[in-house]
Amino acid sequence: MQLHPRHFGRDLRDKLVSKLMKDVEGTCSGRHGFIVAITGIENVGKGLIRDGTGFVTFPIKYQCVVFRPFKGEILEAVVTMVNKMGFFAEAGPVQIFVSNHLIPDDMEFQSGDMPNYTTSDGSVKIQKDSEVRLKIIGTRVDATEIFCIGTIKDDFLGVISDPNATA
Amino acid sequence: MMGKRVRLENSSSASNCTHPGLIGGLCIKCGETMDNDDGFGGVALEYIHKRLRLSLEEIIRLRDKDFRNQLRQRKLYLVLDLDNTLLHSMDVNKIQENQEQFFLNRGIYKVERVRKMTKLRPFVHTFLEEASKLFDMYVYTMGCRNYAVEMAKLLDPEGVYFNSKIIAHENSTDKSKKGLDVVLGKENAVLILDDRESVWEGHRDNLILVEKYEFFGSGVTAGGTDDENDGVLDLVLKVLQRIHASFYDTEDLDTLLNRDVRRVLQDFRKEALKGCKIVFSGVLKPEKQHYWKLAEKLGAKCATKRGPGITHVVSLDSASDLSCWAIREKRFLVNPEWIDAARYLWQRQPEEKFPVTNELKIAPVTSCSVEVC
Repeated sequence: MQLHPRHFGRDLRDKLVSKLMKDVEGTCSGRHGFIVAITGIENVGKGLIRDGTGFVTFPIKYQCVVFRPFKGEILEAVVTMVNKMGFFAEAGPVQIFVSNHLIPDDMEFQSGDMPNYTTSDGSVKIQKDSEVRLKIIGTRVDATEIFCIGTIKDDFLGVISDPNATA
Repeated sequence: MMGKRVRLENSSSASNCTHPGLIGGLCIKCGETMDNDDGFGGVALEYIHKRLRLSLEEIIRLRDKDFRNQLRQRKLYLVLDLDNTLLHSMDVNKIQENQEQFFLNRGIYKVERVRKMTKLRPFVHTFLEEASKLFDMYVYTMGCRNYAVEMAKLLDPEGVYFNSKIIAHENSTDKSKKGLDVVLGKENAVLILDDRESVWEGHRDNLILVEKYEFFGSGVTAGGTDDENDGVLDLVLKVLQRIHASFYDTEDLDTLLNRDVRRVLQDFRKEALKGCKIVFSGVLKPEKQHYWKLAEKLGAKCATKRGPGITHVVSLDSASDLSCWAIREKRFLVNPEWIDAARYLWQRQPEEKFPVTNELKIAPVTSCSVEVC
């Protein structure tokens, strides 16, 4: 963590920690996944002054909660967009695409004001804001985001709640 | 429970998948990471997702499936151009400050994000509302994506007409033109509305050309009265409704599956100049000439010689032999804009509105021999 000299003083450690939280929470790393929240600081090492500037670099060891979906994992997600190819859903910072190949065959795409996938008897409907349980079958983690391919074709997967259902 | 991640790249079971498409290098059917998604081929559909590519087989499969869906709903597809078709935009920095307030007072939008002032074509909201009952609609512009999205918000504030079907210049496969390859609709069921023909090379049979809409012209500070009389979208809507009705004049699914809206459009166009037999004068004469071909498209018969059956002479020169003959023999003598008018208005227009005044000039066609008729 790099710090400008104006922060050196009594609150140095606090300032370091707040900067860490600000810079790191919400980012993505290939190895660990999405960093959700920092839970503790284990160790702050000695600072090294950088040549040519007054900035000082501190190595910090910290603990945090990470979110990294893995293949085979079952997740609950909220549908954000439905089109004739399938639907996009979000589970926190992770975006998941479920193609129509992986939607049960008895569900058909209906276009219109609120595009959706519905069973022939109309009993089950997937549309924007529906909550679905899906299984991850592929993931890709890069510098800024995590993207997954999911399926709802297996048993016990599919709509959890209908946003229009009366309570 | 954290399981060990199984690496499937080298396993044989993953290769059973046909890999119909990739998003961000991940197969949408089996989830496998494709090492080199450039070698995948197919068509990039970036307007749906920035890293989406579908194989040609998958596009065909999706189109067929969706066509059946549309048939069930008795709908067709409509691809809509933006600039000069549904609206007209002008750079904010080309508009003086006092003009800007004047325009804002008259319901013209200022779209900060893309630095434009935009006037929607009269009747556009009704047009979209009525057209959406008969067509699954796309926006397709040569403008950039940000612009396309902002214009779509003006036209479709509830987001019900277009959804993810907004195609911008950078989403075209060939950036120099527009193509139906990125549209998930079967070509035999797609109609296009655009003020420009040249961008739709290869898809002219699907195209309905509309008169260019220009609000911010040179000297349009008081633009208003002319604009309100722009009835193009009203007319085009009626045309679309009739073509749709003609396509869906049966309940028989098998007939519909084999129908081609391009054919319906072609037949409909031929009503415009039905019964006319035209001979052209001077530079307009050669058979491959633009107006000859257009007149035939509109249902007229074209001839090379004067004769008893001729109904119209199309000329630029009122003193030519052929023009004089027309006057003597009491045939209609018109300038070529009479044919353009028939094209835009879908029916024959009063001939007296298109006299030959010798003032009209058209660009000379290359390699055409001028004959004195």
